Parts: sequence; structure tokens; C-alpha cells
Amino acid sequence: MHGARDFWKRFSRNKGAVVGLAILVLVLATAIFGPLLFPTSPWEMTGAPFQRPFDPEFPLGTDTLGRDVLSGIVHGARVSLLIGFVATLVAVIVGVILGALAGYYGGIIDDLLMRFTEFFQTIPSFVFAVVLVAIFTPSIASIVAAIAIVSWPAVARLVRGEFLTLRTREFVQASVVLGQPARHIIFVEILPNAVSPIIVAGSLMVATAILTESSLSFLGLGDPNLMSWGFMIGAARTVIRTAWWMSFFPGLAILLTVLALNLVGEGLNDALNPRLSREGR
Amino acid sequence: MALLSVRNLKVALPVNADRAFAVKDISFDLAPGEILCIVGESGSGKSLTAAAIMRLLPRSVTIAGGSIELEGRDLASLTEADMRTWRGHRLAMIFQEPMTALNPLMRAGAQIEEILEVHTDLSAAARRERVLELMRAVNLPTPELLRDAYPFRLSGGQRQRVMIAMALALDPALLIADEPTTALDVTTQKQILALIKQIQRRRNMGVLFITHDFGVVAEIADRVAVMQHGEIVEIGCTADVLNAPRHPYTQKLIAAVPRLEPRKTVTDTSPLLTARRVAKTFRTGGGLFTKKRVVPAVKDVDLTIGAGETLGVVGESGSGKSTLGRLLIRLIAADGGEVSFGGADLLNASAARLRALRPQVQMIFQDPYASLNPRRKVGQIIADGMLAHGMPQGNAFARASELLGLVGLDAGAMDRYPHEFSGGQRQRIGIARALALNPKLLIADEPVSALDVSVQAQVLDLLNDIRRRFNLSMLFITHDLRVAAQVSDRIAVMRLGEIVETGPTEQIFLRPQHPYTMELLDAVPGKTWIAPTVFARA
Repeated sequence: MHGARDFWKRFSRNKGAVVGLAILVLVLATAIFGPLLFPTSPWEMTGAPFQRPFDPEFPLGTDTLGRDVLSGIVHGARVSLLIGFVATLVAVIVGVILGALAGYYGGIIDDLLMRFTEFFQTIPSFVFAVVLVAIFTPSIASIVAAIAIVSWPAVARLVRGEFLTLRTREFVQASVVLGQPARHIIFVEILPNAVSPIIVAGSLMVATAILTESSLSFLGLGDPNLMSWGFMIGAARTVIRTAWWMSFFPGLAILLTVLALNLVGEGLNDALNPRLSREGR
Repeated sequence: MALLSVRNLKVALPVNADRAFAVKDISFDLAPGEILCIVGESGSGKSLTAAAIMRLLPRSVTIAGGSIELEGRDLASLTEADMRTWRGHRLAMIFQEPMTALNPLMRAGAQIEEILEVHTDLSAAARRERVLELMRAVNLPTPELLRDAYPFRLSGGQRQRVMIAMALALDPALLIADEPTTALDVTTQKQILALIKQIQRRRNMGVLFITHDFGVVAEIADRVAVMQHGEIVEIGCTADVLNAPRHPYTQKLIAAVPRLEPRKTVTDTSPLLTARRVAKTFRTGGGLFTKKRVVPAVKDVDLTIGAGETLGVVGESGSGKSTLGRLLIRLIAADGGEVSFGGADLLNASAARLRALRPQVQMIFQDPYASLNPRRKVGQIIADGMLAHGMPQGNAFARASELLGLVGLDAGAMDRYPHEFSGGQRQRIGIARALALNPKLLIADEPVSALDVSVQAQVLDLLNDIRRRFNLSMLFITHDLRVAAQVSDRIAVMRLGEIVETGPTEQIFLRPQHPYTMELLDAVPGKTWIAPTVFARA
């Protein structure tokens, strides 16, 4: 279909987005294939502690206990991306359903759902995530759940807004007149027309989720069985003046991944809403 | 000497447009004190011609050749700074949408005064005096009060008057009016047309008037130029062009203009739908800090539609005619009243009962671009209703393809998306969708008002044909009395949520009883012009 080629043409017009996509593909490849190249556990003490980077055996050095920093980053990529994507997926599903119901039905349902949403929005999201993880004991499942719980209200608001405008469009009214059930109208008629902003918001939300996960791990609230970038920085913070590389390289990994996701999100926005973005510049 | 003289004007479109030139090789003259109408359908290049004269073309569109001379001076030779002075002083423009052309955050008087401030060195007191004088010249009531009003407080007609006052502020020799009355109600349109004509006579100004409406041409023009695909196909005296068009395209357009004569009507049929005291009031706001706004949209309306009958509902914007249609089909919940449809009570039916009744009453929408889901294929759009009511997939798609044939599209349209079709074709798809469930009653909400006149005639023919073939009843909502005269057996005239008069079409047109009906009929543009039906061979 020529639609896909058009899409790529508009996406690639944004050079930053292409760079972001390249970085993201690299990070994804690392997450998928990296552990094959570094089969030993990243927790294993493989060398002397405090080894400086750019050494042939340990290109990024070793940490305070002699663990390979590069191996930690490679294994951490898997955790970061997994949590980022799964948490976002859960948040988007919950947000879309609640937002769609609120926007489509309006009235009292809308009022109830939006007050419920505001209840979550009034609590500072990171503090809320910390509390949730602390209560449910840190594990990959509780971290995903906590991030999803603090992220869905934004999606719900966005989807509700889209539904409010699309609901009044004539093709939706035509569907009502044909006697279509609400399920059909919500999922077949309206939702496909609201997908672009949801995708854009979702891609940016993955970046936020990765940051939140890193912050939780930094505070020692990460899954104790999984190596993650945030944990590495947290563990190295006491020696940052003597051994910069232990926190620098994981930090760089976070920076590049989040940057890449933001660039891709912006590119998606340009490609999916061509008219809006063209007016913008 | 001509006031405006356009010679071999060519306007080039960007490379990827569907044609190379928006305007190719047009020439015409406009004498001082003359009104020249440029009439054409959408995409004919008439608005770009106006923009080219004002040198207000979009950046991607350029003048590729020819000359535009105003009072003997080639406008292309002026610098941008000179051109700015000329705009306003020598030539001025008014636009279609007075709401978007005015700054919503500036008071009406200040917007007029701004022009004087930029272009003249009048003192503040003199400027204020001149603003009042201009506002009086365009017949704005109580200029002292309206001067301090923001645009949102003004009616559409008042806004257009403010626009005209701004255009006249510097006494231009040429006024370009780009569809200035298209967004207005017919009674307001009549006043604005009269105003433009009056001012033009008084000041001996030249007016270039762009329109798509032959009725307006008949009303206002001295001469008329007909444009098609960027070319002037015919130009001449209004009487000649309108009554004895020579070019086949002009003949086709004029033949498509609905005659303002009531059609032979079917009456005395058994009632299919009877509405009693249907009412709807819209309430907005009413929060903690906002005042409640109450708008009674439909007030206790009674109406009857007979089997096989078309009831035309006419009225101006805000008369509640669209709301009425949506109440009858239960797109909006009514506050009260009852609608009996073939023995069933539509307004108070339960959700399940309503679903079973839905197929019998279908709707055709106004905007052919908004009424089809852009993400679904045409076949799916038409088959959807049948699938929802339990028809097997194979049968539904076979029937959809049959329906496409019925509305004059080929079956290849099934697998295409709505954006691949023109406005008229989309409206046909909308009609096929409405027919898919074999309805008894069609509610058509301004189904042709977004279409060009020639396409409009085709769609009206199609509706007429379908109606006869399936013995359909129709509620036809329109603001256009010409269209109403063509399609309706009976007409109901609505104003401010009430039906003020109802009767057979012939009676409404020939012996109107209510003063408002008379006013509406009187406001139809070009009402004295009877479009010819027989044409000379070109």
C-alpha cells in the first residue's frame, strides 16, 4: 500500500526522528541479542574492582565489586525497555477504555470517571509510584503496575477529548442511526480515528516510564534480581568522584534511550498529523 | 477608460497540484461604476483571480503571465510598500467569513479606525467622527453603541457590514467582494446585496463580485463572467448571459439552477409519521460560577408526513430545523412530545425497540466530507447497517454493490476509501448507506447545500428518482427555497423553533399567509429571474 511509503516519507523528513529511530533500533537489538554476547550474569564478579574504562578486557571498566559495567548496561537495556513498553501498554489500554467510555457516554458516567481520574492526577506521580512499589515489595510486576497506575490518567484525558469531538461527527451519527451497538461505534468508528494522538502520546510515555523505572531503581526500589541502569547509578553514587565511569555510562544509556524515544515521538507526530506540524514551522 | 483591466492573466499552481494553472489566460475589463460578477463552481479559479488582483496569493501560487492594470497602472510594477498603500486607497476587499476576517479581540469601531490610523493622518477626533460616519453609511443601527462592541456580539450581517465599512474607509475605486453573502441567511443576504449596490451607485465605485450563485448574479450584476477550469468561457451583459447563454457550460449551469416554481404535488396520503408537541431546549453552563444559558431550539412542534410524501422544512440558521430532524430520528433526546411512526412511538421507545425501528427511518447528512468514516472502505460503510441487523456478510456486500449501482457509482468503489471520491460522489455513497436498510422515511438534512450547482442538480434528481421508485417519504431540511420548491410536496416554514406556516408547496409559494414566509420568499436572490429552459445551440 502506498500509505506506508507516504508515512515513511513524512517521518523521514524529520532528521532527528530518523536518528532517534536508529538509536532505538540499536538499543532494542542490544536488549534482544546483548545477553547472548554476555552470557555470564551481570552480577558476577569478573575482575578486579575499580578498573578504569577503555581497557581491552572491560571496555567500560568494572564497579566497586568488580562487576563488568558493559555487561550491566547490556542486561539493563532489557529491563528498561521491557518495563517501559509493558507499563505503557497497560497504561494505554486502561486509559483508552476509561477515556472512551467517558467521552462517548458523557453525562454522569463522564463525571464519575473524570473525578476518579483526577483522584490519581492530584497525587504527585513519582511519590505515588514510590509508595506503591514500597507497599507491594519491589519486583518487576509491581514496578510495571506502579508505573502504569501513575501514567494512565493522561491517556484517559487525551482519549476522552478525542472522543468528545469525534462523537459529534456526522459519520458517528450515521452509525447511531443505522442502529449500531455502542461497542461497534466506539471501537470501529471512533477509535481508529483517534489512534494517531494515542500513538504519539504512547511513544513519549515509554520514555517517561524508563525514567521512572531508573529513578525507582536508583532509590533501591528496583527488582533485586534484575540488573538495571538506575540501580547501577544508585550503587555507584557514593564513589562518583573517584570512579565516574560507574555512573556515567549507565546515565548515558538512559539519556540516549529517552532522547531517542522523544525524537521518534516527535517524528510520529509529524507523520501522523502532517497538517498540524507543517503549520508549526 | 476601464478602471480595472486584466489581460491574459495566468496564475500557476505548485508543481504537485492537480493542474498546472489555476487561472489561464483570462482577460476582462471593469468600468468605473460597474458591477462585474465572476461566477463559477468550486475550483474554477474565481477566488484566485481576486487574490491575484489584490496581490494576496498564497506563497506557493504565483502569477505566471499577463497584466493587471488599475487606473492605467500595472499593479505588478508596484513595490510591496506601494501596493500596501494602494490596498485600501484604490482597491479593497471583503471576504466570505466575516467572523474570521475580524479580529475577535478588538472592538468593531477600533478595527475600522485602525485603517484610518495606518493610511491617513487624520486626528483622533476626526477619525472617530469618520468611523461613525462609515458605520452609518453601511446602515449599522446605533453606531455609537456598536462601535464599542466586540465582533462576537454582532450578528453575521452586522459583521459583514463592519467589513464593508472597513473596505470603504479610504474611498477605494475598486471593491472586490469574494462570496460576501455565502455565509449569511437569505434575508440578511438580501440586505447586504442591496447595501453593496446602494454604496456602489452612490460612490460610482467598480465592484468585482465573486459568487457561485446565479440568483445573486441576477440580483446584483451589470455584467457577468462565467469561469470554468481557470478560463472565462462566457462574458457579457447579465441579461444576455442569464437568459440566452451561448456557451454549453453556462447553459449546463443555468439549467441546473433549481426553478423557483412549485412542483406538482402528491397530497392526501395516509400519514406515516405524526409528531405532536415535540420540544427541545438546550441548557448549557449552570455551574457554580456561570450563568445558565437556556436556548429553546424547538418549541412544541406538530407535523405530519404522509406515505410517499416529501415535507420540506425551510428556515434560516438557528430556526431549529436541523434539531427537529435529529429529534425525530432520536439522535437527540427530546424534552417532551410524542412521535407516532406507523403505530410505534419513536420518542419513547425502549433501546431494544428503537434498534428494531432504526432501519425504517434513515438520514442523509449535510457534509459529504464528515459523514463518511475516513478509515473505512466504502463497501464496509454501506454494508455496516445490514450487518448490524443480522444479514449474512456475503449478502450484505452483494447488496452494497447493487446499491452503488443504484446511486450511479460502479462496483469498483467498494474497495476504495472515501477520500478518493468527490463531494457529489460521497453524497451518493451516503444515500446508498441510507437506502441499505430499506427505510420508509428519509430525513435529509441540507443534503445538497455543500455541493456545486451542477452536482446539486444531479443529487436532487437521484433523490427524486429513488423516492418515486421506493415510494419513500422524506423530511427535507433546507435553507434554500429554490431547492425546497423543487423537492417538496408540502412545506413547513420554521422560525425560532416554531413552525409558523405549513401547506402545500404551491400554496406557500403563491399565497403565503404568514409575514415571515413572505419575507423569506421576497429575499430569494434573483427571484424575478426565470431561468430559461430552452437554449440556443452554441
